[in-house]
Amino acid sequence: MTESTAPRLTRRRFLKTTALLGGSAFFLSRLGWPSELFARTRLAEYELTKPENILYTVCQQCNTQCGLKVKLYDGLAAKLEGNPYSPWNLQPNISYRTSPLDVATLSGTLCPKGQAGIQTVYDPYRIVKVLKRAGKRGENKWVTIPFDQAIDEIVNGGDLFGEGHVPGLKEIWALRDPKLAKEMADDVKAIWAKKTPEEKKAAVEAFKTKYAEHLDKLIDPDHPDLGPKNNQLVFMWGRLKGGRSELIKRFTVESFGSVNAHGHTTVCQGSLYFASKAMSEQYQKGSWTGGKKFYWQADQNNSEFIIFVGASPFEGNYGPTNRAPGLTRGLVSGRLKFAVVDPRFSKTASKAWKWVPIKPGTEAALALAMIRWIIENKRYNAKYLSNANKAAAIADKEPTWTNACWLVKIVDGRPEKFLRAKELGLTDEDRFVVLKDGKPIAFDPYDTANAVEGDLFVDTTIQGVRVKSGLQILRESASSKTLEEWSAICDVPVRDIIELAREFTSHGKKAAVDIHRGVSQHTNGFYNVFAWFALNLLIGNYDWKGGMSQASTFDHTGGKEGQPFNFAKLNPGKTTAFGISIIRHGIKYEQTTLFEKYPAKRPWYPLSSDIYQEIIPSAGDGYPYPIKALFLYMGSPVYALPAGHTNIEILADPKKIPLIVASDITIGETSMYADYIFPDLSYLERWEFAGSHPSITQKVQPIRQPVIAPLTETVKVFGQEMALSLEALLLGIAEKLGLPGFGQGGFGEGQDFTHPDQFYLRMVANVAAGERAGNEVPDADDAELELFLRSRRHLPKTVFDPERWRQIVGEKWWRKVVYVLNRGGRFDNWEQGYDGDYIKNKFGTLINLYQEKTALMINSMTGKPLAGYPIYLPLADSVGRPIEDDKQGFDLQLITHREIVATKSRTIGNYWLLAVMPENAIVMHPRDAERLGLSEGDRVKIISASNPEGVWDLANGTKVPMIGTVHLTEGIRPGVISFALGYGHWAYGATDLVIDGETIKGDERRRATGLGGVAGIHANAAMRVDPYLKNTCLVDVYGGSAVFYDTRVKVVKV
Amino acid sequence: MEAENALVRMHQDLQRALKKPAERRSWAMAIDVRKCIGCYGCTVACIAENVLPPGVMYRTVLDIELGKYPNVVRILKPMNCQQCDNAPCVPAANAVAPGSLEKRPDGVVAVNYERATKEAFEAARAACPYKRAVYFDDGRFYTDGTPARQAYETRPSFEYGQEWTRTAGKPPVNSLRKCHFCVHRVENGELPACVTTCVGEATYFGDLSDPESLIAQLLKQNRDKVMRVYESKGTQPRVYYLTDTPVLCKSQHP
Repeated sequence: MTESTAPRLTRRRFLKTTALLGGSAFFLSRLGWPSELFARTRLAEYELTKPENILYTVCQQCNTQCGLKVKLYDGLAAKLEGNPYSPWNLQPNISYRTSPLDVATLSGTLCPKGQAGIQTVYDPYRIVKVLKRAGKRGENKWVTIPFDQAIDEIVNGGDLFGEGHVPGLKEIWALRDPKLAKEMADDVKAIWAKKTPEEKKAAVEAFKTKYAEHLDKLIDPDHPDLGPKNNQLVFMWGRLKGGRSELIKRFTVESFGSVNAHGHTTVCQGSLYFASKAMSEQYQKGSWTGGKKFYWQADQNNSEFIIFVGASPFEGNYGPTNRAPGLTRGLVSGRLKFAVVDPRFSKTASKAWKWVPIKPGTEAALALAMIRWIIENKRYNAKYLSNANKAAAIADKEPTWTNACWLVKIVDGRPEKFLRAKELGLTDEDRFVVLKDGKPIAFDPYDTANAVEGDLFVDTTIQGVRVKSGLQILRESASSKTLEEWSAICDVPVRDIIELAREFTSHGKKAAVDIHRGVSQHTNGFYNVFAWFALNLLIGNYDWKGGMSQASTFDHTGGKEGQPFNFAKLNPGKTTAFGISIIRHGIKYEQTTLFEKYPAKRPWYPLSSDIYQEIIPSAGDGYPYPIKALFLYMGSPVYALPAGHTNIEILADPKKIPLIVASDITIGETSMYADYIFPDLSYLERWEFAGSHPSITQKVQPIRQPVIAPLTETVKVFGQEMALSLEALLLGIAEKLGLPGFGQGGFGEGQDFTHPDQFYLRMVANVAAGERAGNEVPDADDAELELFLRSRRHLPKTVFDPERWRQIVGEKWWRKVVYVLNRGGRFDNWEQGYDGDYIKNKFGTLINLYQEKTALMINSMTGKPLAGYPIYLPLADSVGRPIEDDKQGFDLQLITHREIVATKSRTIGNYWLLAVMPENAIVMHPRDAERLGLSEGDRVKIISASNPEGVWDLANGTKVPMIGTVHLTEGIRPGVISFALGYGHWAYGATDLVIDGETIKGDERRRATGLGGVAGIHANAAMRVDPYLKNTCLVDVYGGSAVFYDTRVKVVKV
Repeated sequence: MEAENALVRMHQDLQRALKKPAERRSWAMAIDVRKCIGCYGCTVACIAENVLPPGVMYRTVLDIELGKYPNVVRILKPMNCQQCDNAPCVPAANAVAPGSLEKRPDGVVAVNYERATKEAFEAARAACPYKRAVYFDDGRFYTDGTPARQAYETRPSFEYGQEWTRTAGKPPVNSLRKCHFCVHRVENGELPACVTTCVGEATYFGDLSDPESLIAQLLKQNRDKVMRVYESKGTQPRVYYLTDTPVLCKSQHP
């Protein structure tokens, strides 16, 4: 290899290191491209559209998970397009029965990020070998080490960095006996069930006595509900979908026995999911249970009127590719008009009938004002709201019903539990009560025989019990202020409020409120969401064409009739993980032995999970307990979280988290603090079951499968060759540890789990089987089978071995697996998403207008009970105090937005996208600029009360000033500034790093302007740190959302 | 659901058109500005399809803001070579570099990479009123300045049905480059990259001389909304725009 001193533009410097894609064997082999060849005679046929050069998979440039048609040129992914079988990319999608041989020249749509995915996969800064840090955490000095050595060090621990003993996984895996674990878990539940502190204390003592020989396996014997030491392994992830999620949970929870497997949901839309979950709780056997972590969106292909609140489907959301057609067709045909409530004049707003530039954070005020007007003017659907139970809904041909007319007890002046019929002596059974023409009637919400309807507005006393109906409670909340007062809070003119409410109630069921992060990522996010979705309940549009729909997927884990592989039964060594999680989710503070006083040291989240902003800061505080090892998969909390800089100090300190292992395709803003980085396969090289989104009405399961050869090294685990990947990392550790559920007999007697294919191909077979007997896909015919094999001729045996695949799924399922994989997944036909006037895949049951479960929760930070109905809450810190930075001269409210050409942390290397938009800007109204003496193009720094220096302190000697370029626009609310997420990097190839002693220069096109690059600003570090928590952003303590939009900042000219 | 899928329909139209002799086809493009969401999918799809280097973007999208808060308007309008029937670029370029540009019978203004030198590019650019139509390939690569040049941009493109691999000193490096309606795809039965990828379903393509084609019918049924840019200059462009607001739509690229 020669060193070249050619000028920068044409430099082709050969790297000594082979750790990066840019210096790897892959690159070197490609030097043989026919560069001397030009202007050959006309080709008979365009190579890229030959069926055998096409494979179907799923995009992951954002989380929309659109279908992909990948055109291959000599094994290179040359061109990405949309999958015509997928309703994301073609509407209506082509019939699933169509042969792939017939669709080679027909593709679906694809957004710019999707097209640019080639540059994510072939990123010169991609790592292809295992890296171990050679300096301090975050110094960005690395050495390549053999995979086996890395696994050995992680499992066995030792003085791995010359900084003292690092615990290995074998130490952390303290409790290994599944029987013992189950017993302990049950006894911990029993401790939690005790009502008084004395009873709890006694139970703890009893526990300690019973398990005297095993106390060393617990984190803290005096607090057995912290669980075993196993919980000190924490696995956190960013962008994770099905298949891999089951693998991570199998490894972490089922086999290793840690409760700590957590995703990132709260940095995305947290409270949107968890408010929806609370609305979806069902009453089973005396308790509220079964709430789904999901949400609803508008069926935009059929709606006549949509109000988008804090949502921009033309730029982000989920996503432009699948949502835009229904919207643009509707605009042009006259079927649809929509309003956009957003402080910024987004591209979506540019096509709106009405743009409502609301004051960010006051969204619930607008919703409650609309609710007030709708109720006063009787424009709600009385028939729908009067239905108390299933039978009444059925009689009205309604797929859903609510508790609008159910009676709620008023205790100490606040709505609390639902009245039970028992309390009135109406029956001994567990029944609720409505008032009908003055008479109380007992009912079962799920009764299909006796239709019960109730009066809508009830405020009375029955047998001395003060009660109100759910709708009455909502009315009172909405009427707690006049329209003028609500208007003053959200700064939306009364005239507009009324016009929105009138239009919303003028389209029957074909109107919808469609909300996203602009509503959920506030300190009051949970109640914002609840208020807006209550509007949908007022018109009863759930499950109706043009109304609200939910996602519907073909199951891949095998719990349904007719599916061949039930993963619930495929882990013979499964143990019971137990104890309080590091993020204190899914449990009430008061139940635990940690309960002392209010405020708790950190928030507890009984209604939520996957609280991304809690993982590292809780570890930093050692509350509820310190942790020993952190695994990070495809995530960058430092970059992604508001105030993500608070994570850096903790990550950089080996005393806080002794071992950090990252699975990543590059060295990013968070993985740069890891001890080991294991390269992963990109989304074109691997498996996943991508799931769906609420606005897609068809039942689907897009399947991500390898379409190009792995670009990472090959390693050997369980005697099998496989690509270096998340799978190799987990299987490698499992092998070294002897973890049950992996290796020989890992799935059961005679069923080995020694290669990733054995996991994923089983799942494909489950998808091929479908929902029930008779729902299987057809067998692929010989022509399709031949195509299947031929189109994978470039794939090595490590990722494609038809014999191995056939052996895994068995003869019965083989040709069905081929059929599914030939189409990139399983997709119902377009018309199967609908059923007359309804959406086919219905939510189909009770939706809570009033949430009893929520009303019985206590806020762990204030000791006050939660409201079970939509309310307006002003901005507050985690202990409920107002934040008044605006009074300290921080005169601008900072929000963020999505440009379609960038995703959170992973598109900065996509140079085609940077060609369209090389940098982001600080978007500002001219009025503010004038006031501040700023002009278009000025460079400014963003500072806040919690970051007066306006920098990212990387804890390695470098600080990244948050400097960006001012761009003036009339399209933003004065007083608000915004920047687009995805720019201003300082890792991910943006700055220099050292691998094996060689410096690899970073690319200024990726680098933050504050560091002398040209890629603009990433200002999350200006977002407000919670004054009580001190190491975390502002949070929605109810729903868990990480707060992006409630910070007041200043800009300073530089 | 308004109708069948336009891509499927146009794909069928295309197969029909390909049954005609090449000189009887009349390719045209239509862009419904009401539906463009300014996503730049077309811009990037085209770069990917034609392996375009830095500085060359056959297809761009105008994003212009007008008005005063809160009465703001945003124009989102794609632009590429208009394949004019009376293209001023053709005589201008051929005057300085004979044979560099050729108006084909099917409507496309084709570039001869071996002959369309820098001088031809400068002459064409000066003559073309549309701006953002003709570009010059100066030999750069996107992955220059990174640890290594990547194969996705050293692989051949297939423009005009031939293989072109960008190498210093060889065409298409140092040539004029521009949109060619993806004739290499079209003649293989595949719609142009920008048409296929268009997320807003705003871009249409087909054989204007076929009255059964979607594009012909679209333009006929929306006569009152159809306009062409710089109509008065007499270039006779083959790119039609559908809009409710022709005055706003006439705004040009800066």
